[in-house]
Amino acid sequence: MAAAASRGLLARLRGLSLSGPRVLVPPSRLFSAEPLVFDQDDDDAGWGEGGGGGRIIEARPGVMGPSSVRTGVIGVKCGMSAMWDKWGAKVPITVLWVDDNIVCQVKTPEKEGICALQLGAGQKKEKHLTKPEVGHFRAQGVPLKRKLREFPVTEDALLPVGTTISVRHFVPGQYVDVTGITKGKGFAGGMKRHGMSGMPASHGASLSHRSIGSTGQRDAPGRVFKNRKMPGRMGGVQRTVKNVWVYQIDPARNLLYLRGQVPGPQGSFIFVKDSNFKKPDPSLLPFPTYFAQEGELEVLEPLVADLGDVDPFMAAD
Amino acid sequence: MQSLLRSICRARSQGASAKRLLDCAATTPAVAQSAVNQASANLLRPLIRPIGSQVPYHGCFCLKALSLRGLSTAGNAELAVEEDDPTSAAVEHPPRIKFKRPDKTARHVMNILNKEAVEKVRSERDIPDVQAGCIIQMRLQVPENKRRESTLKGIVIGRRNAGINTTFRLRRLVAGVGVESVFPLYSPNIKEIKILDRKKVRRAKLYYLRDRMNALKK
Repeated sequence: MAAAASRGLLARLRGLSLSGPRVLVPPSRLFSAEPLVFDQDDDDAGWGEGGGGGRIIEARPGVMGPSSVRTGVIGVKCGMSAMWDKWGAKVPITVLWVDDNIVCQVKTPEKEGICALQLGAGQKKEKHLTKPEVGHFRAQGVPLKRKLREFPVTEDALLPVGTTISVRHFVPGQYVDVTGITKGKGFAGGMKRHGMSGMPASHGASLSHRSIGSTGQRDAPGRVFKNRKMPGRMGGVQRTVKNVWVYQIDPARNLLYLRGQVPGPQGSFIFVKDSNFKKPDPSLLPFPTYFAQEGELEVLEPLVADLGDVDPFMAAD
Repeated sequence: MQSLLRSICRARSQGASAKRLLDCAATTPAVAQSAVNQASANLLRPLIRPIGSQVPYHGCFCLKALSLRGLSTAGNAELAVEEDDPTSAAVEHPPRIKFKRPDKTARHVMNILNKEAVEKVRSERDIPDVQAGCIIQMRLQVPENKRRESTLKGIVIGRRNAGINTTFRLRRLVAGVGVESVFPLYSPNIKEIKILDRKKVRRAKLYYLRDRMNALKK
């Protein structure tokens, strides 16, 4: 927070004094090898005073076009449970905790060549982060985060640095794509890794009940083809589960309830984005993200997906 | 100046509350009289402004760390509360949770959600204590079966505790055939559970009853 204040203050002082002869150099800059170029990045106040290609990005609601892409969100997988919806059907639930997501860096086509937002989630102590990481947070003026992840967006969905993204970014009832690092299974054999069927347990099968069997032909070709399925390390890779239904969101506690499974163990970071295949109505989604208006009351009750008025079980008549 | 910061850092490392830090900050300007201390008093003002070249590098570092950790001086009390809220708002308890490992916090969150869900169901419906050996009569509404209410009577041969997904196994005689079914205890489809009798059993799971088909309702 002090870093943010320092950057903003410096910028304002600079602007006021119109670059007087004595430039206030923050002590961190005395020790860095970067040139003392005070080019303005995007402030929350929308202070786009930078030179030439300075882009003014404001935190304002916009209109979502058919090809717009919003950011995603970083959550922590808390666990699984089950809930009953209002018609009495049981819904398996994965709980994600969207912990304090803040936009840490904005990547623009002018400077970095792509249009993306870097989000940070969680908190971390300064002593647990490396100096380059700390320097990155301090340069951007955001608090220290535990996990950073970049989400490519379209130009109309860019947000200024420091914007909080809460759980209300998503609407219950929409579909999302969920990405995570799967649980590691270690060195797994053919049966577990590739679903091979092994060999009979008895009837004379000798020492090869779970083996992979033959790996090829004989002298021709005389080698094992590439991509032959063999035992190896399984799990611990990034996978995406698509079209997961958002059942409920809890804005007071920043919890997201999804239907079904999500890759990864408890406590791992999960990245949630709008679904690519089942796109909802653009007018329903808050674009570029949800901003709490002044006149609106703070919604503290959990929002449940709309299940319709018709009892799906009685409709079977 | 250095000693002031060191004392603050020490106080913080000993788990001092924000109040103690306040006292520390309040008394030290009175103690030292140097001009440097003026700068330090400025430092500890509500709006922490970096003093530029006057503050040594590590001093600024330490104070930034302090303010970021939410244990800081008076004016930053609001900041501290704000930063507490995202973490502690997830848990709904005012004291902030020690966030050491994400998986421990994740399990803690699930625990709390489970407890709350159970409390909510218990307050709405009256659910008796169903243990192994109880003879139960219950009214069940099956949504798939066009919402007909059926009455089931049988003996509970086991109970599995898992928060909101606590289930019990019911063994009953249906048309002369013994049938075991598993029901979630807190399901909204179970309209009523009545305990008719409690048999004295000496174990938690009565699977031995599968071999003993003597008498009805056993």
